[in-house]
Amino acid sequence: MPDVIAVEHLAKSYRKGAIITEVLKDVSFTVHAGEFVAIMGASGSGKSTLLNLLGFLDRPDRGTYRFEGADLTGADDATLSTVRNQRIGFVFQQFHLLERTSALDNVMLPLLYAEADVADGAARARRALALVGLEPRADHEPGELSGGEQQRVAIARALINDPVLILADEPTGSLDAKSGAGVLELLRSLADSGRAIILVTHDRVVAERADRILVIADGRIASGGPVSTKP
Amino acid sequence: MLRLSIRLQLAHRRRTVLSVAALLLGVATVVVMSAVAQGAERRVIERIRAMGTDLLVIQAAPAPVVAGRARQRTTVTTLRPQDADIIASGSALARVAAPAVVRSTVARSGGRNSPTTLLGTTSDGLRIQGITAQAGRVFDAAEERELRRVAVLGATVARNLFGDASPVGETVLIGRIPLEVIGVMRRRGTDVGGSDLDNTVALPLTTAMRRVLNVPFIDALFVQARSVRDLDQLEREARDLLAQRHRSRSGLPMEFVVRNQAVLLRTERGATAALRGLTLGAGALSLVVGAVGIVAVMLLSVRERVGEIALRRAVGARLTDIRLQFVLESTLLAGAGGAAGVLAGLATAGLTALLGPWDLVPPWTAALVGLGCSVAMGLVVGVIPAVRAARLDPAVGLRRG
Repeated sequence: MPDVIAVEHLAKSYRKGAIITEVLKDVSFTVHAGEFVAIMGASGSGKSTLLNLLGFLDRPDRGTYRFEGADLTGADDATLSTVRNQRIGFVFQQFHLLERTSALDNVMLPLLYAEADVADGAARARRALALVGLEPRADHEPGELSGGEQQRVAIARALINDPVLILADEPTGSLDAKSGAGVLELLRSLADSGRAIILVTHDRVVAERADRILVIADGRIASGGPVSTKP
Repeated sequence: MLRLSIRLQLAHRRRTVLSVAALLLGVATVVVMSAVAQGAERRVIERIRAMGTDLLVIQAAPAPVVAGRARQRTTVTTLRPQDADIIASGSALARVAAPAVVRSTVARSGGRNSPTTLLGTTSDGLRIQGITAQAGRVFDAAEERELRRVAVLGATVARNLFGDASPVGETVLIGRIPLEVIGVMRRRGTDVGGSDLDNTVALPLTTAMRRVLNVPFIDALFVQARSVRDLDQLEREARDLLAQRHRSRSGLPMEFVVRNQAVLLRTERGATAALRGLTLGAGALSLVVGAVGIVAVMLLSVRERVGEIALRRAVGARLTDIRLQFVLESTLLAGAGGAAGVLAGLATAGLTALLGPWDLVPPWTAALVGLGCSVAMGLVVGVIPAVRAARLDPAVGLRRG
C-alpha cells in the first residue's frame, strides 16, 4: 500500500507573549492507504495540533510533510486548499454543520471550492448521504437531526470529493455510546475501502477500533512508532 | 456562494435590517431631495425659458436726483419706440427689438372688473415673449399702424371677465377706451418672480401709447439676440447705443437697467446647483453612516462565524475565497440597503407628488447613482471584514466554533 502521509521530525511551538510552548518537538511516522490510525495522548499533548498540521490547517516550524509522495511542507495556500478540498476529509467533535442549511447543502459545501464546476453536485451529495444511511433526511436541517445523524452528515461532507485521507478529531466525543459505535463502524468501513483514517481521541476504547495507536507524549510519538505495513 | 451568502444574511434578519437601515434612510432621503431639487430647477428654468433665454429686457433707470433734489416721480420717460429700431439696426447681434409699455390697470366688461397688466407692444414683441393665440388671433403690424382698438386677453383675465364663455368678439374697457377682444393667449404660467403671466391684456403698442395711456415714451425694450452666446456682447452694444442717444441735462449718459435672461438662467442654475450640492453632501454623509453600520455588522458577523470560516478553510476554501465571500456579503447588504432606499425614496417622491402641490421630477439619475454608490461602498468597506476573516487561524476557529 502506498504512503498517504509521511512526516519526519515535525515540530511546532506557540508563542503567547514572552512564553513559547513547544507542543510538538520531533514527530515522525507514516500512514498508508487503507490504514486506520488512532492518535492518543493526554490533554494538551499536541494531538489536535498534529491533526491540524496533517490537514494543512497549520504549518510546522520544522520537519517535512510528504502527502501522497509530494513534499508539501512549503506549498502555497492555493495548493494546500486544493489538497484539503480534493484529497482530505475532516470530521470534528462539534460536527461544524452550517445552521439553517439542509443536510444536502451542508454536504455540498466543499463543492463550492472545487476547482472545476461540479454538475452533478446534488446527486453526489445524495450518494454520500446514502453511504452514511441518511439519504432520506437530506432536506433536514441540523437542528432537526440527532447528534449521531449530524456526525454522519459531517462524514458525508468529508466524503463528497472521495478523499484518500479522513482526519477525525474526537468524532464520538459528543455522541452517546450507540451513535458513537455507529460512527466508528462507518470510519472502519471507510478504511476498509482503501482510505487512510487518522482519528484523534483520548478514549482508549475508541482508539482500539483502529489498526494502530500512536501515543503522543512530551511532543514525540511515545509508542506505536513509524510502521510501513498494516499489522 | 451567492445563494449561501443570501441565506446566511436572511438567517439574521433583524441584524441585517438594522445594518442597512441607515443606508436605506440615507439613499431614500437623497432620492427625495433630488426629486425636489430637480423639480425646483425644472420649474425655474421652464419659467425663464418661457420668456426666452436669448432675451435682453432694457429699462431706463430712474434718476434718483434731479437738479440737486430728490426725485419724487418714479415714471421714467427716457426710452422711446425708436430706440428699438436703433438697437435692431445698430447691432448685428440683435435679431429683433421690440418696444413695450407695461402698466397695472383694470379691465372691465359687463359690470365685471379684473385688475390686470396692460402690455402694449408690437407683433414682434408678442413673438419674443412667446405670446400666441389659444382662441381667435393676435394683432398684426397693420392693426398696429392703424392704432386699432383690439386686445388679446390672457387666460386669467378672460376667465375673470367672461367665465367659461368665449370672449372673442366681445368688448373690454381699459380706462374708458373700448377694445375688441380678438383672441385669448395660450397659457404661459408664471414668471421667475411668481407673477401670473396669464393675467395680461396685450394691445398694439401704438394703441396703448396714444389711445389708452397717452404717453410718448415706452417702459421697456425687448431685444432678442441672434444667438444666446452673443447675449453678453449684445448687452454691451445696446448700452453703448442707448448711451449715445440718451444724455442727461448735465451731459452724462443715462443709466439703463438690463435684465439679461442668460445671466438670470446662470444665477438660477447656480442656486439649484447649491441645492444639488447639499443633496450630494447629504448623500455622501448617509453613505458614510451606512458604511459604518455595515462594517460594524460585518465585523460582528466575522466574530460570530469563526467556526464557519474555519470550516470553510478546512473543506478547501482559499484565503481568496474567504475574502471574496465577505466582500460579496457586504456588497449584497449594501446593495439591498441601497435598492430598498431607492424604492422607498421613489415611493415617497411619488406619493408626495400625488398628494401635495409639489412639482417633483422622478430622480432616476439620483436613484441609479444612489444604488451604484451603495454597491460600490459595500464593495470597498467589505474589504475590512474580509481581511479580518482571512486572518483567522482555522485551527483556533475549529476549536472555538
